[in-house]
Amino acid sequence: MTVTIKDAEIREHLRERSVATLRRRTYISGVMTALCWLAITFAAVPLVAVIYQLLRRGIPVIVKSGFFTTLPQQPTIFDANNTGGVSNALVGSLAVIVYAALFAVPIGVLMGVYLAESTSKFASLLRIITATMVGAPSILMGLFAFEVVVQQMHVGFSIIAGSFGLAVLVLPVLATATEIAIRNVPSTYREAGLALGAKPSTTSLKIVLPAASTGIVSGIILALSRAVGETAPILLVIGGAYAIAWHPNQAASALPFQMFQDVQSNYPSLQNETWGIALVLVGAVFIISFAARLWAARKKKVQR
Amino acid sequence: MTSNTSTDLRQAAEGHRPSAASRGVYEYVVLSAAGLFAIISLYFVGSIVWQALPAIRHQGLYLLTGTSWVSGGATPALSKFGGLSMITGTIETSLIAIVIAVVVGTGTSLAINLLLPSWMRTIAATTVELLAAIPSVVYGVWGMLVLAPLVISTVGPFLNSLPGGNAVFGTVVAGQSLLLAGFVLAIMVLPTYVAISREVIGAVPHELIEASLSLGATRWQTIWKTILPTGRVGLLGAGALALGRALGETVAVVLVIGQVNQLNFRPLQPGVTLASWIASQWGEAIGSDQMNALFALGALLMAASLGVSFISTRLVSRQRSLVNR
Repeated sequence: MTVTIKDAEIREHLRERSVATLRRRTYISGVMTALCWLAITFAAVPLVAVIYQLLRRGIPVIVKSGFFTTLPQQPTIFDANNTGGVSNALVGSLAVIVYAALFAVPIGVLMGVYLAESTSKFASLLRIITATMVGAPSILMGLFAFEVVVQQMHVGFSIIAGSFGLAVLVLPVLATATEIAIRNVPSTYREAGLALGAKPSTTSLKIVLPAASTGIVSGIILALSRAVGETAPILLVIGGAYAIAWHPNQAASALPFQMFQDVQSNYPSLQNETWGIALVLVGAVFIISFAARLWAARKKKVQR
Repeated sequence: MTSNTSTDLRQAAEGHRPSAASRGVYEYVVLSAAGLFAIISLYFVGSIVWQALPAIRHQGLYLLTGTSWVSGGATPALSKFGGLSMITGTIETSLIAIVIAVVVGTGTSLAINLLLPSWMRTIAATTVELLAAIPSVVYGVWGMLVLAPLVISTVGPFLNSLPGGNAVFGTVVAGQSLLLAGFVLAIMVLPTYVAISREVIGAVPHELIEASLSLGATRWQTIWKTILPTGRVGLLGAGALALGRALGETVAVVLVIGQVNQLNFRPLQPGVTLASWIASQWGEAIGSDQMNALFALGALLMAASLGVSFISTRLVSRQRSLVNR
């Protein structure tokens, strides 16, 4: 009899304990889940806060007459609000990115094709190099562009030097995007081409690349739209000029470059103008990447 | 794999192995683009190290251990270029950034994968990705014009009012500080961390999660004892990738760190990082021995970030092969 009583006691004790642990476990789980919710909220706050500031302070700047069409002015103590516009930076940014694209897009895409199609040792080595170069700090591209274009090629501080820095920065990104796009093409496409007797190069050019083109093009657009906002690679080599310039050998300004200069000035009016430039940059990147994604998604639907 | 099978097919069809001679123009064009990139990458590493050599020869270990940065001007023998403040500043800001990013990022990835209803997952993921689309100079401007005043008015006084707050955090000089730089960096590397950790957590096999839940584990116990241990290699890789980004970030840091070349271990005081010092000293350094010293800092930064980046890629791909096995 005593044994049964003990059993019951133990059972009761265990039940109490398990209820207690269950309560504790549920409580901890609830708290940690709430913290996860807090984390995702916290992650979204900066985006909302930045966009709010961009709209609130940026819109009054860009609606100012002549913001896009006039050259920047240096404010003076007599005319502290005379900041002028950003026409030279706008032209400079376009020129820098166009020259960078002319250099980087063909090489990056061809290299991506090689990475996707080759199984050689060199290809796997190159894949490691590419992944490592994607993580290289962008200021180093500025140092590299200075050494190669400004010093060794004797071009001087110029648009083309900035383009070179940006091109080296986006090359591995373009190659990776191309590689992924080609790998996403079903292998049956390639096998069908080969089965019909086409040469591997013909199959690649006429069947695989067209099928991958949507992914490649949207990859290019995304990479280039991000590159427009990069400051560090061009900061050391573009020279900074107060005139409109688009010739490769000329020194120029660019939108992120001018932001970086203006925000460090002592004039509140110049600091304030950076919100306008920021709005233009962020707006352009958002619209372009949104359009590229939408376009890619629609093309995909049509292909299926 | 794909090209392997197709090549096999072709070989079978033609009845001979392809030799180098059977490579067409196309193959050579593609190969030469790849070769060009390999050469550019080697030249990239080589030219930065080459320009750093004179400074390494003249300054020696002082580059790593010295704290004063004085240009001798016409007499280079008087130049003293010590990088210790930049090295410690880089480590401090990156650590602050990585701690915030890993805690918030892991929570975000868990919430995206396990808590949000499925229709909201893509929206949340895209929102975090949009953070990466904002140029770093915009974060810098935002940090300098919006957050720095907040540090002076609210955050700084609050941290100082804590017991021992003055000793640990230091007094607020300007809003621009190591802490602010670390915070802004955290926001900037968050998308990088979330992109990988979301994939890692999403790839944890469902059987494992279901087994844990069916044994009576709560949601958090499943996360802590099953999901995170399964993904730990990949999460480590994601953290390393984010660390690599934080180490080399330049323009945003220049604007929010205060750019004061002194050895500081108190987060509310200003400092410098390797990358931000290169950017801010560049104008006066061009053509002098100071430029070589900046290249030497660049070489150091390159070694650190390429190393971290290499390790992180290895870790992430190891996680992928672990899960896909």
